[in-house]
Amino acid sequence: MSTPEADLSLFIPIIQTNPLAWKMRQNASGFAPLNQKYGQNDKEEYNEGDALHRALEHIRTVKEKGAVEERHLQTVEDIAWKSGLAPEDIDTLLDVALSGPFDLPILLQYLIPTAFGLVQHPADGPTQWVPNPTADHCWATAEAVKTRMLKCLIPATLIPESAVVRAFSRLCASNCSNNTKVLFFRWLIAMFDFIDGKEEMNSLYGFFFSFLQEETMSCYICNFLYLLTKRENVKPFRVRKLLEFQSKVGMQPYLQALLSLYRSFCPDLITISLPPKRKFYFKTTDSIWQAAVCIVKERNQKSPLPSVKLTIGTAYSHPQKKKWNSGCVIPMPTSSHVSKEEQDEEGDSSSLEVMLSGQKSFPLEQLHTFSQLLDNIQDVELPSQMCSVLKSAPLLHYLNCIQDETVWLRLSYWMSQELKEGCTWCKVSNYTSEEEFRKFLDIIISAQCFLQEGFPSSEVFLYKSLPLWDGISCRTEYLQLLSWIPLGNFSEIKPLLCDSLTQLFFTSSIYHKCSVLYSLKQLLENWLLWHAMKVSMKSTLSISADTPMIALNSVSELIYYVGWLSTIALRLEKNSSFLLHFILDFFEMVSDMYLNYNLPLVVIFPRGVFYPALLTSDSIALNRLCYIMYRYRVNLTASKENALIYQERLKFNKTYQEFNEYVTALVDCLWTSTSFEKDHYLYIDPQILEKTKIREYKKSLNLINHPALLPYSINFLLQVKGWPNEKELSLSSIQKKKWNWYLDYLLLEELHGLHLFMESSLDIADSASSAHTHPAHKTPKTCMSEPV
Amino acid sequence: MALLRPLDKLPTLDVATILLLGAEETLLEQLGVAIIKACEGSAKVQVHVASCLPLPTDRECFRPRIDLIVFVLSLRSKYSLRTVEASLPHVDASFFLGKVCFLVTGVRQEPNASIHMDTVRKMATTYHSPLLFGDLEVECFRASVAQRLIQILQICAGHVPGLSALNLLSLMKPSLELTTQET
Repeated sequence: MSTPEADLSLFIPIIQTNPLAWKMRQNASGFAPLNQKYGQNDKEEYNEGDALHRALEHIRTVKEKGAVEERHLQTVEDIAWKSGLAPEDIDTLLDVALSGPFDLPILLQYLIPTAFGLVQHPADGPTQWVPNPTADHCWATAEAVKTRMLKCLIPATLIPESAVVRAFSRLCASNCSNNTKVLFFRWLIAMFDFIDGKEEMNSLYGFFFSFLQEETMSCYICNFLYLLTKRENVKPFRVRKLLEFQSKVGMQPYLQALLSLYRSFCPDLITISLPPKRKFYFKTTDSIWQAAVCIVKERNQKSPLPSVKLTIGTAYSHPQKKKWNSGCVIPMPTSSHVSKEEQDEEGDSSSLEVMLSGQKSFPLEQLHTFSQLLDNIQDVELPSQMCSVLKSAPLLHYLNCIQDETVWLRLSYWMSQELKEGCTWCKVSNYTSEEEFRKFLDIIISAQCFLQEGFPSSEVFLYKSLPLWDGISCRTEYLQLLSWIPLGNFSEIKPLLCDSLTQLFFTSSIYHKCSVLYSLKQLLENWLLWHAMKVSMKSTLSISADTPMIALNSVSELIYYVGWLSTIALRLEKNSSFLLHFILDFFEMVSDMYLNYNLPLVVIFPRGVFYPALLTSDSIALNRLCYIMYRYRVNLTASKENALIYQERLKFNKTYQEFNEYVTALVDCLWTSTSFEKDHYLYIDPQILEKTKIREYKKSLNLINHPALLPYSINFLLQVKGWPNEKELSLSSIQKKKWNWYLDYLLLEELHGLHLFMESSLDIADSASSAHTHPAHKTPKTCMSEPV
Repeated sequence: MALLRPLDKLPTLDVATILLLGAEETLLEQLGVAIIKACEGSAKVQVHVASCLPLPTDRECFRPRIDLIVFVLSLRSKYSLRTVEASLPHVDASFFLGKVCFLVTGVRQEPNASIHMDTVRKMATTYHSPLLFGDLEVECFRASVAQRLIQILQICAGHVPGLSALNLLSLMKPSLELTTQET
């Protein structure tokens, strides 16, 4: 490994990347100074191109070596290092440089026109070369010239694949010196990503492979093969050859890299154990060339190199480093069938996939729609970087329908790693900022929403990181993970989730409480949807009988838990109406569980939620409460028909009793004004109430005087003022006819919930006469406490 | 006096007092600043910082009633754990009815930790006190820890009607049976 390197170092000139040095060099060579900025003006551009052509022309026509030729070679070098060479010039130079140890002028005479396609194919000529008396001298000179030529092969845009193939065939045919070969391969490795196609090169894989036997260059060949290898190149005989070679030279890192690549393609062929991964397998690619390409690129900024990334070479040479830098970056899914131009910006991180994915597969870059997926579903091959499927909707569809367990394992392994590494509050992470982690969570969440199920790894991550979470960083995203916890046994979830969540919930701000409640509502919704889907699939699939029971228990326990949280949160936040809305949101869904989600379960909200909502000063909350009560009634009435509930009617009796209690309380408060009387839930000793000095305290919570409805009643009175003969505003004047007008007015003010509740829960039988009677005569219509 | 008692002094009107206790004094001071900053304009909070108990007796008369003691310990130093352990016997038992909590910092560098997380967990369960985690070295985490401590402090100082420190403690206890709450 060290010997070729030592030899080579003699041949690597120190290239000054300093523009001043170039300028001086140009001046010394006696040429007209070339402009610093390529393409700055037409005349200079012409000069440069002209000079190059003149130089090549001259080299072609010259008969003897000497100053002239040297000058022209110099010109070519200067131009190459400055603005790069066009594809056809590279073709020419490569051809010349590798055609064998000729006397250069003769060689040029043969080859330059050939390269331009003027005379017969050079393969006829060069092989008949016989050493002449001055061979030694000529040989040495030719070697030096070739080296210089190879070194100045800096592409301005791309390198044609055909040129490389031809050069390689020439390299095989003629007996080039080892140094030339090594230099050629080093050039190939450095410029690998600038070659416009790899297919033809890949078809020469066997020839490249045979070069491995030459120990001096095996390190470069390995590196090159590492870049070139595709799945179908890995053959048993090659593996044998490699292992044989390995036993000869020992476990060299470059060989190890190639072996591990082979093993990743065909694990069944390579059974030997390889040492753990290293950070660097290969020597870094030649930096002079890189620097030169950089400078050329910089100069030609007006015509940038098409989609070529300099990092590609380095990314290959130390794949581990890439991982460290990438953080939570998710590449686009790619496969092998695109040319360089089509690849997007992510090309460098996905180039491994380009090699890994098979020949016949449908290019993933072109997979955009569901119909495309349907047409090509047999040809779709998942990318090697599983994470990239998260961004592609058709691939997620595909993932959803394949039965392969390993695919999910790969995905969840990667995801749990990334989540662990990226989580800013669990681990000091230099690679990801909070912003990046948030984006990463967003991608996971959108994938989960798409698949309508949570990833197991994100669930585990949630349980692990929740105790350490501060409740603020990435709140929206993190809590969304919570809403995708799969429906399971709640007693298993509870110790993992609820303990930390409860502590956090009680010690954090009201906004945090609201967002937790919101995500718990989404969790409930997801569970209900899953359950509904399972029930609908039950006819086709045989599901064990206890599955619905587990689901029922989990859902009811979740509702109890949220009810408990809400009760205490309302106390903590002093019955904040903002919080109350989130709680009522949750219970609005709960009230409609039976009809909307076909779940044979009705869970009534706790008193801790009902009474704060009843005694609120927020009319919207009161309206929503009435609406929820109305929905409860509809659901309870419907559930009487359900066989399962009928079986468990003893358990449900309690639900009916609770509901009836609430209905009575609501009607007592708003209509009959009897809530403070004996045997009612809000009973308070009249003596105490007398002490408050409130006149008519009994009526203080009815539809007119309720703190939430007071503005409405006053507004109503202001509108009907003067009717008939009103002198002053008196709330008690809303009676009889006016009472009915008032109810209509409330409906006009969009208090639909109140209206619906009134229609459903009040005895409508006497509604005709109610216009003339006092509202207090109405009686609440409670639900029958026992199912029929 | 040796024992620190929660109720041996009268409370100052509308003022809540928090005592931060731990070996890492710079972190404690930063946290104190964060607490003061977090409740600026909303509530009156006094922050006291001490490296260990018992508190010096000479200025005892100037010291207000302490509503909440926060033991701060870092997973990275055994010394901080020892300091906390040495100070705990100087706290009256009635403090542990909800007026003590443990704050663990340095969780993010867990591989470098010299104290195992379980040790801290065990200590918190032994003393029936809630355990909070938060990295005090980072500004944003410090601010959120300060917010949470203020929430607890408000309850401990009796500024939230209908809830006492003991009440909160029982709510946050992990092994709480939720279904029994419903009856």
